[in-house]
Amino acid sequence: MKLGIPSKGRLKEQATEAFAKAGLTVAQAGDERSYFGRVNEIPGLEVAFLSASEIARELAAGAIDLGVTGEDLLRETIADFDARAAILGRLGFGRADVVVAVPESWIDVATMADLDDVAADFRHRHGRRLRIATKYWRLTQQFFSQQHGIQVYRIVESLGATEGAPAAGQADVIVDITTTGSTLKSNRLKILNDGVILRSEACLALALKDRPAVDIAIAESLAAAFT
Amino acid sequence: MTARAPRIAAEVAAQLAARHAVRAEVAVLQPADPFLDMAGEDMRRRMFLTESETGQTLCLRPEFTIPVCRDHIVAGARKARRWYLGEVFRQRRDGAAEFHQAGLEDLGDPDEAAADARVLADAHAVASLARRDLTVTLGDQGVFEAVLIALGLPEGWRRRLARAFGDSGQLDLALADLGRPKGAAHDGEVAALIAAGDATGLAAHIVGEMAAAGLSATAGRAPEEIARRALEKAALATVRLEKKALAALTEFLAIRSGLDKAPAALSAFAIRSGLALDAALARFGARVAAIAAEGLDPAALAYDAAFGRPLDYYTGLVFEISAPGLDKPLAGGGRYDRLLTLLGAPSPIAGVGFSVWLDRLDKAAGGAS
Repeated sequence: MKLGIPSKGRLKEQATEAFAKAGLTVAQAGDERSYFGRVNEIPGLEVAFLSASEIARELAAGAIDLGVTGEDLLRETIADFDARAAILGRLGFGRADVVVAVPESWIDVATMADLDDVAADFRHRHGRRLRIATKYWRLTQQFFSQQHGIQVYRIVESLGATEGAPAAGQADVIVDITTTGSTLKSNRLKILNDGVILRSEACLALALKDRPAVDIAIAESLAAAFT
Repeated sequence: MTARAPRIAAEVAAQLAARHAVRAEVAVLQPADPFLDMAGEDMRRRMFLTESETGQTLCLRPEFTIPVCRDHIVAGARKARRWYLGEVFRQRRDGAAEFHQAGLEDLGDPDEAAADARVLADAHAVASLARRDLTVTLGDQGVFEAVLIALGLPEGWRRRLARAFGDSGQLDLALADLGRPKGAAHDGEVAALIAAGDATGLAAHIVGEMAAAGLSATAGRAPEEIARRALEKAALATVRLEKKALAALTEFLAIRSGLDKAPAALSAFAIRSGLALDAALARFGARVAAIAAEGLDPAALAYDAAFGRPLDYYTGLVFEISAPGLDKPLAGGGRYDRLLTLLGAPSPIAGVGFSVWLDRLDKAAGGAS
């Protein structure tokens, strides 16, 4: 069984601390720059140090069996997440919300129902669909189309500084991650009342597939350590 | 047509070609924008996307209606019946990503009842190649919108309910929401301007806000537009959908009958609820008569008042054809009078059409024999 853990910086430290709190020691093989290791208390569990965004992707691809990364990345990267992976533990760090935010000057828009109204009218008024800048196209699409029945909008992929997209004329609305909301505020954007798509934090996730009993036992002992 | 086309494809092609229509040739590789623009982002996860050297986003055609309508606009044609048959490509969790569809678009005929009936008969004839025991369900977006108008609902509410038509979950949510008064949601200067009904002052305030945020006043929503909607919303904040209107809507949405009895059921509903639906019911009745004139027995077709498709270009008739024992419909279609305008037609062009899933048709035919 292979466990992916963030390879760098604050996330790596926090993940290691969370494991320590659960009574587990993440040990790197060799020196700090080595990208593999193990968990001392659980024989048979290898550790791969990967970038946080790779962890979700490699879980989906089956290269690793378990991974520590943000729930936002897990749900965004892995199609049909609930059928293909399970969250074994919430680790209490990396907390952030994925939210829908609109310009503060849109004084008439406070809820998703308001945004639905605006989106429906947009094409007729402006000759184009309402544009949403985000790097979370899957989460956005699920929230807008499936949960709120909003079909008519366009996603503009934004890989950084998403909060600046409305002022740059790239989009009308954004879906982005926020911890304190201060970047949103300084860009004069407001979160819709019912616009929190996901309250995310770092999670320990397991890719679901048929496994031998010995691997299931490893997953179970990890899950037990985090409950 | 590839060698892997379902066996029934040749028969379907012959049937369509015999129904006074010309074949549309549609490239497999299509610009992705029109599909994303019309069918919504829900389509994105189902499309196979790629990019040209110049950065244009292309896709393998996920359906035929949009390209057929675009060709119609480019050709500057006025009236035409165009049929198609070929593979479409969609990502699906189960089942093949590549399957065959056929269908027909009846474009530019101002005689709505005749065109609706003709297309329904076309679809019925094609589906009949597989099964004799077809079940046909019809709905009508136009009648629902007429009920909303007759109930005297404010325009914003009508638009919201019309958008949710055909999706019972979203419709229930919208009705519940409109049944609750909202109350005021502003404070300070904005609250005062709204209380005074001062559209100009409100727009001026919004201009200031937008400038401070670095937003262009012309690239997206305009200050006047925001001010107007804020005032409309405030005017509606204290009112809510009346119990009587809700009861009438609920009663309407529960109407189900044979199409032969549907005109009487609808006019009985109109009289009971005291609603003026004459124009919509006349159109509905004319369509029923036209369907009978096409040789289909209205008593064998089902009308479901709540049946619709939640896309903003459907305007009138919608229908689905299935058969007992099938879990998915064989064919579906409807009237989309707004689609060609949305696709860039300089003046409105009426449109109604249908498509059939050939793989399902083939399977249904095999199962019946």
